[in-house]
Amino acid sequence: MKKKVLAILLSAVTVLSMIGCGNEAPAAAPEAPAQEEQAVAEEEAPQSIGSSVEGELSVTIWDEGQRPGLQQIVDDWSAESGIKATIQVVDWNNYWTLLEAGATGGELPDVFWMHSNVAQKYMENDQLLDLTDMIAASDKTDLNNYYEGIVKLYQLDGRQYAVPKDIDTIALWYNKTIFDEMGVPYPDDTWTWKDFAENAKKLTNDEHWGYAIAPGNNQEGYYNTIYSYGGYVISDDKKKSGMDDPKTIEAIKLFTDMIADGSCPDLATVSETAPNELLQAGKTAMCISGSWMLAGYRDNEYTAANCDVAVLPYTNDPSDRVSIYNGLGWAAAANTKNPEAAWSLIEYLTSKEGQLKQAELGVTMSAYIGTSDAWVNSVPAFNLNGHMDMLDAKLVFRPYSRDTTVWEDMMIEKLQDAWTGDKPVDEVCMDIAAEMNADLAEE
Amino acid sequence: MGKKLTSRQKSELIWGWIFIIPTMLGLFVLNIYPMIDTIKQSFYKTGDFGKGNKFVGLANYQKVLGDSEIWQSLWNTVKYAIVEVPISIVIALLLAVLLNKKLKGRDTFRTIFFLPMVVAPAAIAMVWKWLYNSNFGLINNVFHVRVNWISDPKIAIYSIAAIGIWSVIGYNMVLFLAGLQEVPRDYYEAASLDGANGWHQLVNITIPLISPTIFFVLVTRIIGAMQVFDLIYMMIDLNNPAWKKTQSLVFLFYKYSFEQSKKGYGATVVVVLLLVILVLTVVQLIGQKKWVHYD
Repeated sequence: MKKKVLAILLSAVTVLSMIGCGNEAPAAAPEAPAQEEQAVAEEEAPQSIGSSVEGELSVTIWDEGQRPGLQQIVDDWSAESGIKATIQVVDWNNYWTLLEAGATGGELPDVFWMHSNVAQKYMENDQLLDLTDMIAASDKTDLNNYYEGIVKLYQLDGRQYAVPKDIDTIALWYNKTIFDEMGVPYPDDTWTWKDFAENAKKLTNDEHWGYAIAPGNNQEGYYNTIYSYGGYVISDDKKKSGMDDPKTIEAIKLFTDMIADGSCPDLATVSETAPNELLQAGKTAMCISGSWMLAGYRDNEYTAANCDVAVLPYTNDPSDRVSIYNGLGWAAAANTKNPEAAWSLIEYLTSKEGQLKQAELGVTMSAYIGTSDAWVNSVPAFNLNGHMDMLDAKLVFRPYSRDTTVWEDMMIEKLQDAWTGDKPVDEVCMDIAAEMNADLAEE
Repeated sequence: MGKKLTSRQKSELIWGWIFIIPTMLGLFVLNIYPMIDTIKQSFYKTGDFGKGNKFVGLANYQKVLGDSEIWQSLWNTVKYAIVEVPISIVIALLLAVLLNKKLKGRDTFRTIFFLPMVVAPAAIAMVWKWLYNSNFGLINNVFHVRVNWISDPKIAIYSIAAIGIWSVIGYNMVLFLAGLQEVPRDYYEAASLDGANGWHQLVNITIPLISPTIFFVLVTRIIGAMQVFDLIYMMIDLNNPAWKKTQSLVFLFYKYSFEQSKKGYGATVVVVLLLVILVLTVVQLIGQKKWVHYD
């Protein structure tokens, strides 16, 4: 008897360990966080980020929505250069986990996307190919042609480690049907943030809210208002938090008041159903979204039929209309086996020609100034001038430091008490500023 | 000891080693070495990409002791385990007893109850997330209630534990079924001759006789529950009001190690979890003498 029990236990342990192994890929299809949300989660967790093989280029990105268009541009380059290049998509969360593992083990793809959250770290540790000399020798690439904030982001000690790929702007998406129903004129460039809040109240009834905030996504929300009000999140030297600035606090209060008066759903609701989902379900009249959401709204029948987009409101004067922007960069691995080919591809992708194609194909707006006009016509259902005109607004680069996620996560967590009204906004913001200053001092 | 081995013993020794070496190798490379390395890392402030690690002694552990977030997560994890483990065991045991009888469609039922175990945890989480959704979810709409199942800090962890129970029942049940095959039929016959009803049989015959299986399930499920991660990771995000009241220790480990790249501190968190599990398991191993019958 004892032996049999033992045998059963042993076989059970074996089964368990197998199941345990199966479970240990927790990253299988996680949800994309705050930025670049539309990354399509892979069915199975990818096992590698791709690696450099001689004579062929591996390219890795995180957005499935952009792959078809980009592959077309890359194929054009292959036709010219005679070198094969394949794009691999790894969803947002796995992308960073695998990229870091790859960097630690010395196995990175030849060419890949860089992002403001981690660029500094990768540059400091010599993981990215130094492109400075190649840019200087190139007749196609001149860094003055790109939006400054994105160029600077990928710079360290005067060396350039990535070339800007795209730019995003934030705009006000709205549901025309709800506006008509409630008899409120559509938002336009005369709206102030105060009008915005007042109209949100008018647009609220039992069926829908006026506006829905994305508490976890600062770029698609309160960051724009903070800078429009004249406040700031982080000082230019990245040493001091601006969350205790009176104007910052005032900007946060705009949203907490809206939640309090019911024109914006409470935290529990938006944490379960994201604002863009509420817009797509006809549950909110307005939603502040980044241009990267376009593909999602285009492919959703409801939004394509009922929604449109306008510029963000301003505070006192149209000149303080702010769009918090961010932009990806094309980078190459420092230890790539094909440095010339990698640079040639990056040069092509970021050349005027490549950037024009990117906009024409509706992939994204381009980082090369003046090449995005074609993007406006890429989706006939929407008047994309709402996003395009934001390029002429005050462009503020998305606040970042060396370890952005550390204080950003902390801020999102603490702001919960402000959204729910559990603590006064001033107190929460002071608290955030204190902790953020401590984090910045540690960097 | 000291005795010379006969040639047969020698060859058995050699072959024995040859047979277990593949497993040992896998165990060492995939489990033991990473474990030692993790413990080592918990004494370091780690640099980027595995370079520039700085030895800080017990500083990480001191930080853990004073970090209320860690204690809150430990408490969340314990709450999850307290709900998930006993309930899943009781339900699974009753089901196993039921499905051990001659029943029409018995195999179909066994398969149905085991199915959740086969489904990917990520898929389970996505489906339940929508079932629980307070505005559009099936549960609230069918019962006409307005409960924030996964965003109310007071109940979110229990809602998640309910999913845990649902998905693990089938697995526990199969183990119990295996245990039940060992119980001789004549005990029940004798008992029913003496007038014992179903309940008495269950309490006085079945449970004592399969107590080794129950013990095994208990130990492994507590370990499993203490390591809960994927359900919470998939269902709760940073802006959820229940965030602080649901994140588990493994979740914190993931957050520090992979999201914030503080691998040293992450390692410390997971060593703390290891210690907690170790203590729980030792207590159970000692306690088993009181209620587990091996023959």
